[in-house]
Amino acid sequence: MIKALSVATLLLTTVLVGCSSDAGSHSKVLTLYTCANDAVEQAVVKAYEQGHSGSKVDVYRAPTGQLNARVAADVRGGGIRADVIWACDPLTMHGYDAQGLIRAWTPPATPSAAYRTANSVGVDVLYLVAVVHKGVTPPASWADLAQPQYRGGVAVPSPSFAASALGALAYFAAAPGYGMSYYEQLKANGATQVNSPDNVLTGVAQGTYRAGFTLANSAYAAQRKGSPIEVIWPTPGAIAIPAPIGVTAKKHPSPQAADFAAFTASPAGQAAIAHAGAYVPTPGLPGPPLPAGSPIVAPDWTAMFGDSATLLARYAKVFGS
Amino acid sequence: MPGRARALGAERLAIGVVLLAVAALVVVPIARLAKASTDASVGRVLRSPGISTAAWHTVLVAVVVTAVAVPLGAAMALLLRRPELPARRTLRVAVVLPLVVPQFVLGYSWTEAYARAGFTDSVLGIHWDGLIGPVGVIVVLAVNAVPVGYLLATAGLVTRAQPELERAARASGATAWTALRTVTLPVLRPALAAAGVLTFVATLESFAVPQVLGTPAGFSTLTTRIYADLSLGSDPASFTDAVTLALGLVLIAALVLVPADVVLAPRLRAERSGQPAGPAQRQRRTWRSYAAAATLGGYVLLVALLPLLALVAASITRAVGLPPTSGNWTLANFRAVLNGTTTGALRHSLELAVAAATLLVVLGALSAVLERRRSGRLLATAATLTFVIPGSTLAVAVLIAYGRWFDGTLTLILVAYLAKLWALAHRPISGALDRFPTAEWQAARASGAAPPTAVRTIWLPALAPALLGAWVLTFVTALHEVTMSSLLYSTRSQTLAVVVLNSQELGDVGPTAALSVLLTALLLAAVLPAWAVAHACNRWRAPRQEVAGAL
Amino acid sequence: MPSEPALRCRGLRVDYGDVPAVCDLDLDVGPGEIVALLGPSGSGKSTLLHAVAGLVAPSAGEIWLAGRRVAAASASEPPERRDIGTVFQNFALWPHLDVLDTVAYPMRRAGRSRPRARADATAILDLLGLGQLAHRRPAELSGGEQQRVGLARALARNAGLYLLDEPTAHLDAHLRAAFLGEVRARQRDSGAAVLYATHDATEALALADRVALLDGGRLLQVGTPSQVYDEPVSAAAAALTGPVSVLSARVGPAGDALLAVEIGDASDTVAGRASGPPHTRQVLLRPEWTSVGGPFQGRVEAAWFRGSHVDYEVRSPAGRILVRETDAPRRAAGETIPWGIRRIWLLPDEAAEPQPSAAVAPG
Repeated sequence: MIKALSVATLLLTTVLVGCSSDAGSHSKVLTLYTCANDAVEQAVVKAYEQGHSGSKVDVYRAPTGQLNARVAADVRGGGIRADVIWACDPLTMHGYDAQGLIRAWTPPATPSAAYRTANSVGVDVLYLVAVVHKGVTPPASWADLAQPQYRGGVAVPSPSFAASALGALAYFAAAPGYGMSYYEQLKANGATQVNSPDNVLTGVAQGTYRAGFTLANSAYAAQRKGSPIEVIWPTPGAIAIPAPIGVTAKKHPSPQAADFAAFTASPAGQAAIAHAGAYVPTPGLPGPPLPAGSPIVAPDWTAMFGDSATLLARYAKVFGS
Repeated sequence: MPGRARALGAERLAIGVVLLAVAALVVVPIARLAKASTDASVGRVLRSPGISTAAWHTVLVAVVVTAVAVPLGAAMALLLRRPELPARRTLRVAVVLPLVVPQFVLGYSWTEAYARAGFTDSVLGIHWDGLIGPVGVIVVLAVNAVPVGYLLATAGLVTRAQPELERAARASGATAWTALRTVTLPVLRPALAAAGVLTFVATLESFAVPQVLGTPAGFSTLTTRIYADLSLGSDPASFTDAVTLALGLVLIAALVLVPADVVLAPRLRAERSGQPAGPAQRQRRTWRSYAAAATLGGYVLLVALLPLLALVAASITRAVGLPPTSGNWTLANFRAVLNGTTTGALRHSLELAVAAATLLVVLGALSAVLERRRSGRLLATAATLTFVIPGSTLAVAVLIAYGRWFDGTLTLILVAYLAKLWALAHRPISGALDRFPTAEWQAARASGAAPPTAVRTIWLPALAPALLGAWVLTFVTALHEVTMSSLLYSTRSQTLAVVVLNSQELGDVGPTAALSVLLTALLLAAVLPAWAVAHACNRWRAPRQEVAGAL
Repeated sequence: MPSEPALRCRGLRVDYGDVPAVCDLDLDVGPGEIVALLGPSGSGKSTLLHAVAGLVAPSAGEIWLAGRRVAAASASEPPERRDIGTVFQNFALWPHLDVLDTVAYPMRRAGRSRPRARADATAILDLLGLGQLAHRRPAELSGGEQQRVGLARALARNAGLYLLDEPTAHLDAHLRAAFLGEVRARQRDSGAAVLYATHDATEALALADRVALLDGGRLLQVGTPSQVYDEPVSAAAAALTGPVSVLSARVGPAGDALLAVEIGDASDTVAGRASGPPHTRQVLLRPEWTSVGGPFQGRVEAAWFRGSHVDYEVRSPAGRILVRETDAPRRAAGETIPWGIRRIWLLPDEAAEPQPSAAVAPG
């Protein structure tokens, strides 16, 4: 028993030592919390580290749900540990701001057409579009998906799981000719609610569903690989969800926090994001396909702040949570 | 006497270690969660629409899965101990196969195999619509829980239901069926109770399968509610609601565990027969044994091989939605997965899994021994309470409790694993310990062995199959773990979970499937030799053959 | 048909894997007869009992119970349909049942209602003096109590044949005597036949009407206790039933019904007949067929005091021999004593196989 215990202690010590030895070897470390996809966030981090020798960006990347849980745990366990947060939608960012987690910081003027608040700026954009299995008649408008020809074949992502779906809910709830009744019609037409836009994409590609709501960049990536799908930008428009970046109110912030946030919004940072396959608000950069004249719409984010719970409750009456 | 002093010292050390573990791994995290929950959130949770439905679904699924999986596992254990069963050795390994399919692709692999446009649909034109919905959730969870029931029932058969007892029943005029009903199954009760408890709590906390198969059909459980609340956690109220719900799960688990561990378990332990099992006798092979083997083989094919095959097909197919024909084959998914990050993450995951499994076997053995004292009866419950907290919530608790000291280190993840998986080590070892009549221990002491020597020379060799089983179970689970490490990692402590999530986030199941296939291959490469060694050792230890055979 | 044997085995063979555990076995147990199955552990006793009980299927041969064929190579009747009660070596009591329900178990299987079965079980327990144990579980019973409960359970089957598998192996001497008395008494009451497996020669010889000697899965000899003891067919058979010395000696006729036995340069005469001229033969000597004082001389190698007598292991030119002294004072090892023989058993010439190591069985 003694032997087993000492072996165990030895093992534990080894792990502890092994972990601590590689910690804190960089003097200029800043911590980034983000839900941007891996390729995109890594491209920015690499570009930044190359331009600022000796700097090291420690990244925690996770989907919004996990990101939220991590932030909430930080707050209850000694304070937020991130220097910079790069969220995936304005509502999440606003939630952090409302908790006093985001520090005052004036974002740079670029990108030009960006989503912007007093202390954050949108640095990339997600477009929620429609996707159909190859051979299925593409819908001209979002409303078409509630038509009988798509009966039982439409998948929608859950706004409780995906911020982009919540953005869509916010848009449709206020859009003329849509409103909450749009979701009621979808439900009546046999639409299925799955968790994420990616689940929708997989299901449509497999043929489980004929059509659905998903994100443009993932859909184009799958199509490029050969998935039997088509991407449609329906009227009145693809729903744009900007991803804002901000600097946290951490107790002992890294001096480079604001610098990194500004870099992400700068032409160099924007180019890195676009090159990695995401849409950026800065015009004229190469990125995923953006068909000419594609209509784009956006919900009134500021009007939605603090209102998402009510929206979700109304939605839950239709689709369940 | 120095020997006696040393023995006492060892005992105190053991008690100290277990108490420290209870405090650090169970009490502190749960207390942290309780502190994060508020009265307001309790009210909000209780009033929120659909909460009673979700709670009812959770309990319903757990009860049905337990009621299906444990008898099925026991039936397999009973069937597979018959030496005349054709291909018995292969089948013994095969029935444990569902364990090696990672939870995070379980739902996907089943839809890929059986849903509309899935494997059977494209080949035979048969698909199963019920897969998406409560029935699918229950079936997939049950199938995944069967190996646990099988392993524990097998251990129980070795320990208790000796052929002699059944022969005595037959010789007293009982038919084979009556002997099973009146002797074998009652004697197996402790093992079946342990399997039932473990299956029940594991189902309570299951998240991935209800999420993938239940949510699209509008079937929500407490765990999917918790995840949804965490997703909206930038709203502090949602976060506290999630924590409150998780504590609700702990409460449900405690309601089942405390009576089972405090009242039932000691009584069941007292009913020991204390005789070693004799070698099983070979009966004639009849058409029935062939039919039984064929049924088992068909079952394994349906529940493990086809989903695994669907996974392999997805991993080598160019893009999701394409038929898995040779024209669409590619290794790109494997190339995408096997980059520098992955190898580092794989190393971290392996280190974590080895450290967690090794520490847990020691901890589980200690707690299983101390549980036999009157004062230690609640240890099993304590070790199991954190098992039932959903991974995301437990990770939050660990982060709140220890994040400020261990932020971004593998140690933080290790602590979470130890808290989460203690029960998986404790319960199998505890079940095997029941086999030891004190006589063996006393004989060792009387032969001049001090307690540590007696442990090493008498207990460890005899317990080796159970310890190995616990090690493998915790190792596999830790290696497959996604939820907790994805909340606790940093650049310095990336695990496989990060790679899995990243590949999933790219909207493509190909890389995830490739990763699962690699993991499964890795596991088989690790476990099969262990199994072969255990089997070879067994030639000299006939009574324990069944357990190691099951490994 | 009372004349039919309670048990008849013909050409019985049982295989475990590739190893035959019982081979070519023919055995009859008459109605009301007690047959002891005597053999060392691993000789196939339990296997034979299990085959008779129906717990293993024979790979060849037939088993008949009271004139009814219950097992043949083609089919084997399950144990519950055989009219047999079994007492198991390791008690095999069910840990989850108390004594009363254990004994009621066979009656329940025979179709009796629970109250009725319990009442009948109580009667059996009272008969065996176990009434006060009715509500205990096996874990709360001593070894002797467990064994008597095992016997009660077997008796509860009210069978025509009882199989007892080393029932006294775990009992101490006085419990053993009590148990054997019980078996005898029950057997007399019921008139049932008993096949009783044991490795204890004293027990087998004292209890049985006939003894069957089993070794390596084969029957060596079947006969009355005095037949198998006094007239063994081989040295191996002789060693199973008690201490015996095997020696090579020149034996020839010495007048009417007398034999001359030459060991070294001395000789003695005993009663007996032999054909042919004197030649060297295998001679069996039980210790009680020898005495201190006689024509032979030998050095005492060891002495065993056994209460009523002393056995000396004596070195002689023909090998080591156990010599018994019943009343004289003890001699020390190293002394040379005279000894003689009163009786011998000659092994048949063809069965003669020198087994020096088996020569001494100080048992």
